[in-house]
Amino acid sequence: MSALPSDPVVSDTTATSDALRESAGRERREKLVRFLTDWQGVTGLLLVVIFFASAIFAPWIAPYDPNAMDIPARMSGPTWAHIAGTDQLGRDTFSRILHGGRVALYIAAIGVSASLSIGLVLGMIAGYGPRWLDNLLLLAFDAVRSFPAVILALATVALTGPSLTVVLAIVILTTIPSYGRVARTATLALRHTEFILAERSLGASTGRILFQHVMPNVIGPLLILAAMEVPVVVSIEAGLSFLGIGVLPPQASWGTILNEGYLVIRDAPWMVIAGGIPLILTTLGFTFLGEALRDIFDPRMGRGR
Amino acid sequence: MKDMVSRTGNDTLLSIDGLTLDFRTNRGRVKALRDISFPVRKGRILGIVGESGSGKSTVLWSILGLLAGNADVTAGRIDYGDKNLLTLDAEGLRALRGEEVSVVFQDPMTSQIPVLPYARQMSDILYRRSMSEAAKRAAAVDMLRRVGIPDPESRVDAYPHQFSGGMRQRAGIAMSMLTGPNLLLADEPTTALDVTMEAQMIGLMRGLRDDFDTTIVVVSHNLGLIAEMCDDVVVMYAGEVVETGEVHDIFHNARHPYTRALLECDPARIADVTRKLPVIPGDIPDLTKPLAGCIFAGRCQKAMPACVTTAPPLIKRGTGAARCHLLEGPLADPSWPPAPEVPTVARDTGTATVRGAAKGEPLLEVRDLNVQFRTMGALKARMNGVARPFVDAVLDVSLDIRPGETLALVGESGSGKTTLGRTILNLQSAAGGSVRFDGAEIGNMAERRFKPLRRDMAMMFQDPVGSLSPRKSVRALISEPLLIHGAEGRDLDAEAERLADMVRLPRGFLSRYPHELSGGQARRVGVARALALNPRLIVADEPTAGLDVSVQGETLNLMADLQAEHGLSYLIITHNLPVVRHIADRIAIMYLGRIVEDGPAAEVFAKPAHPYTRALVEGVPQPDPDRRRPPSAAIEGEVPSLLRRPKGCDFATRCPLARDACRVEKPEHRQLTPDRRHACLFPLIDTQDNKNKTETP
Repeated sequence: MSALPSDPVVSDTTATSDALRESAGRERREKLVRFLTDWQGVTGLLLVVIFFASAIFAPWIAPYDPNAMDIPARMSGPTWAHIAGTDQLGRDTFSRILHGGRVALYIAAIGVSASLSIGLVLGMIAGYGPRWLDNLLLLAFDAVRSFPAVILALATVALTGPSLTVVLAIVILTTIPSYGRVARTATLALRHTEFILAERSLGASTGRILFQHVMPNVIGPLLILAAMEVPVVVSIEAGLSFLGIGVLPPQASWGTILNEGYLVIRDAPWMVIAGGIPLILTTLGFTFLGEALRDIFDPRMGRGR
Repeated sequence: MKDMVSRTGNDTLLSIDGLTLDFRTNRGRVKALRDISFPVRKGRILGIVGESGSGKSTVLWSILGLLAGNADVTAGRIDYGDKNLLTLDAEGLRALRGEEVSVVFQDPMTSQIPVLPYARQMSDILYRRSMSEAAKRAAAVDMLRRVGIPDPESRVDAYPHQFSGGMRQRAGIAMSMLTGPNLLLADEPTTALDVTMEAQMIGLMRGLRDDFDTTIVVVSHNLGLIAEMCDDVVVMYAGEVVETGEVHDIFHNARHPYTRALLECDPARIADVTRKLPVIPGDIPDLTKPLAGCIFAGRCQKAMPACVTTAPPLIKRGTGAARCHLLEGPLADPSWPPAPEVPTVARDTGTATVRGAAKGEPLLEVRDLNVQFRTMGALKARMNGVARPFVDAVLDVSLDIRPGETLALVGESGSGKTTLGRTILNLQSAAGGSVRFDGAEIGNMAERRFKPLRRDMAMMFQDPVGSLSPRKSVRALISEPLLIHGAEGRDLDAEAERLADMVRLPRGFLSRYPHELSGGQARRVGVARALALNPRLIVADEPTAGLDVSVQGETLNLMADLQAEHGLSYLIITHNLPVVRHIADRIAIMYLGRIVEDGPAAEVFAKPAHPYTRALVEGVPQPDPDRRRPPSAAIEGEVPSLLRRPKGCDFATRCPLARDACRVEKPEHRQLTPDRRHACLFPLIDTQDNKNKTETP
C-alpha cells in the first residue's frame, strides 16, 4: 500500500504524475464501488431518484389531471382506474400525490439548501468569532426557535396574504437555528485544534480558515441533518396548508392530501395511507442517502485506521 | 486464593503460548499478532517493549479478554493457573478481572469516573467483598496512603478533577492494587506524565511489587522506563516477539538485530554529542499482506536473501531467546552479535556537522516577555475583591536566538514553554515586554501587519497528524503557504514536488490525506509546510513527540540538514532532554513560566547551576539497567499550579536544597559567565564555600 522511496514508480518524474492520476482515479472508483455495495445507500439513492423523477415528470406520468373530478367514483378505494383511490370530490389520489411531490420538492430543495447555507455560515461565525458575536447569534437562534412557527406564519400571512413564498420563507427562517447550532458546536470543537492554529501561524485569513478548513469538517453532520430535515420541511408545508395559509386548496400537496384524508379517515382510510407512503419513502430515502454519503466522503471513516 | 498451580512450572504465573490474532478491517485482515509466546514469571516485572504498531498493547488486552470487537483470535492459549483465558466465559473473566488481574491505564484523565469521588470509586471496586462500607473506606484510605497521596483521610472524598496528573495516576495505581491482585497490567503508565513524575512512578511500582508480591506486566515504548523498572523484557516488532530475556541480557547483550537497532537509536544511549542520530531505515511492514520470512528483513542491516523467504526459528540463548538466522543454522554468523560499542545501524554522516558558535546580531530578541491568562471576568474579580484576576503563564522571559542557532526550551508540562513559543509567533497576545525580530519590534502586532513576517517565521506543531487539516490532500497542504502569501506565476504542483523532495517524502504521498500518513510521514509534511516560504526562524513544538525512536532520528537529522543548508534558526520546545543534548546549541530551562537557567547546552548538561536543571538531567530514566537510580533520587512533589505560585523561589516547594531564604525571596537572574544565566539564590556551581553551606542546612 505504501509507496516506498525505492518504488520504481515514484523515482521517475513522468511516471509519477501518471501514477498519481491513476491513483486518484482508483480512489474515485473505490468510492463508487463502496457506495454501490452499500444497500442502504443504493436504496436511498433509488428512492430519492424516484422522488425527483416523479415530481419533475408528474404532468406526463399522472394518469389524470390532479384537479379533474370523477364524481361517480368519488371516495373509491384502490381500483384499476384509480390505483390509489379517489377523494371526496372524486379526484385521483395517485395523480394528486405526483403533483403534490412537485410542491414538496420545491419547498424541500430551496428551503433546505437556503437554510443550510445560511445556518452553516452563521454557525461558523458564532463558533469562531468573538464571544459577544457568539452570544448575539445564539440569542437570535433561540428567539427564532422559541417562537411558534404557526404564529409566525399567521402574523406574516396577515401582512402579505397566503402564498407558497410565505411558506418557503417561514420554513427557511425556522430551520436555520438547527443548522446554526450544529455548525457552531462543531466549529467550537475545532477552534483550538492544532491544525487551525497551524493555519493561523501560516498567515491564513479568517475567511480562508472558515471556508477551506472549518467548513469541510463541519458540513458532514449538517448534510445528514439536511437529509432528515426534508420531511420536516414537507410537514411544515402540510401543516400551514391545512390552516389555509400555505398551498391554496385546489393545488395538490402531500400536506393537503393528508389533511383531507384525515377528515374522512373512518370512511376512506386509504387516502391517509396513500398520502403517507410517499412521505415515509422520501424520509427513508434521504436518510439512507445522507448516511451513505457521509460514510464515503468523510476520509477519516475510509480505509479504517 | 493465591496458591496457583501452573502447568508450566511453579514460578510461572501466566503463560502465553502461540497467540495469533487478526483484526478484521475494511482493508482486509490485519495479522496483528503472530505466534506470541512468552511466560510471565511470578513476582517479577515483565516489560513488553516495541514501537507503535508492534502489537504490544494488543497482547495486554488479550490477557484480560478486552479486545476490540473486530479481533479474531485464531490460535494459541493464555494459561493463568489452570484456566485458559482465551476460552474462559464472560463470567469467569469478570471474576478474574479486578480481583486477580487488574490494570493501570495510560491516561488517568480518561480512565477514572469524573462524577464519583475516589471513596465511592474505590469501594465499588470491592463490591464482591463482604465488608462494611467503613472497612472498604479504610482500605481505600490505606491504599491511597501507600501510593503516596498526602492526607488520604480527606483526599479520599475528592473527585478526579481535583487531583493533579501525577496524583491521579497514583490514585489509579491505588485502585488497581486495592483488591491485592496477583497480576498487575500497566499500559504505558508514565507516558502521560512528566519526567520527574515518571521517576516517582517507577519507584512506586517497584515498591508495590516488593510489598505485595505482585507480578507486573508493563507495556512501554520507553527504553529508559523498561531498563529502570523491569526484570524481564519481551521485544516485539510488527506483531511478533523477536527477542526475550532478562533485562541485563537485553540491554547489554541484545541478540536480535532489531533490539540492537532500537537500543542504538535511543539518544540517551549515545554518549558522544552528535548532530546526526542513527535511524532504522524503512517502514513497518503492511500486516494485511501475506508475510514470509523474517518480519524485520526489510529494515535489517544484516538481512540476507534467505531472511526474506525463510522465517527464522526461535533460538534459545542466555536467559532468553531470539528469532534470527544469524544465531544458529546454516546462516549463523559467529561474529554476531558484535561488541556493544560497535554500531550496527548506519549513521548518516551527511552535511550538517559544523557546529561553530553562531555569531552576529540576534535574529530574535525577547525581553521581559509576560503572558497572562485571565482567571475570572473583570466584574466578578471586582465583586470578589480580587486585585489581579490573572495567572502569569510566562513571566519576565528574555532570550536571544542568533542566525543558524538552535535554542532548546525545556520544561515540564505547565511550564509555559508552548505559550512562549506561540506568543513569539503572535498567536497569543503578550501582556508586556518586547519581541524583536531582525531588529524590529513585532510584539502584539495586528495580524494584518504581521502577515508578511509569517514568511520568515514558521511553526511546527506538537501533533504531527493533528496539525494537518484533515480534509486536505498532502499536495494541497504543502502548497497552501504559497497560496496564502501569493503564488503568482508559480507552478504549485512543481513547488509541492520540490518541497516533498526536500523533506524526503515520496511523491506518491502527495495525493494522500493526513490520516493515511504515519507519524514520521506527517511530521515531514509539517516540516515541508514550515519550509515552503524559506523562513529564517522555525519554532518547533515537541518535534519528536509521538514519534518512535527509530523515526525521531530521521526527523531530527532532516532538521539539522535543512539548518546547515538554509542557515535556519530553531527554537525547539521540548521536554525530551536526551534529544536536546544532541541537537541544541543552547538550552533554556523553564519552570512555572520563568527561565531558571540558560546557557550552552554542553555546559548546562555537564554542570547545572539550578537544582531544577539538575533534577531534570538526572530525572531521565537511563536505558541501562546497571545505572538504575536509587528511589530517593527523584525529586518530590509536582509542579505547583500557576494559581498558587510560591512566594519565594518558584522551585522552593520541591527543591531538596531549599533554605528559608528561598521561601521568602524571589531570586533574580544572575549572569554566571557571559553566556550563562541562572535564577537561583544558592547555585550549585558558584564557589566551594557555597557547596559546603548546601550540605549543612
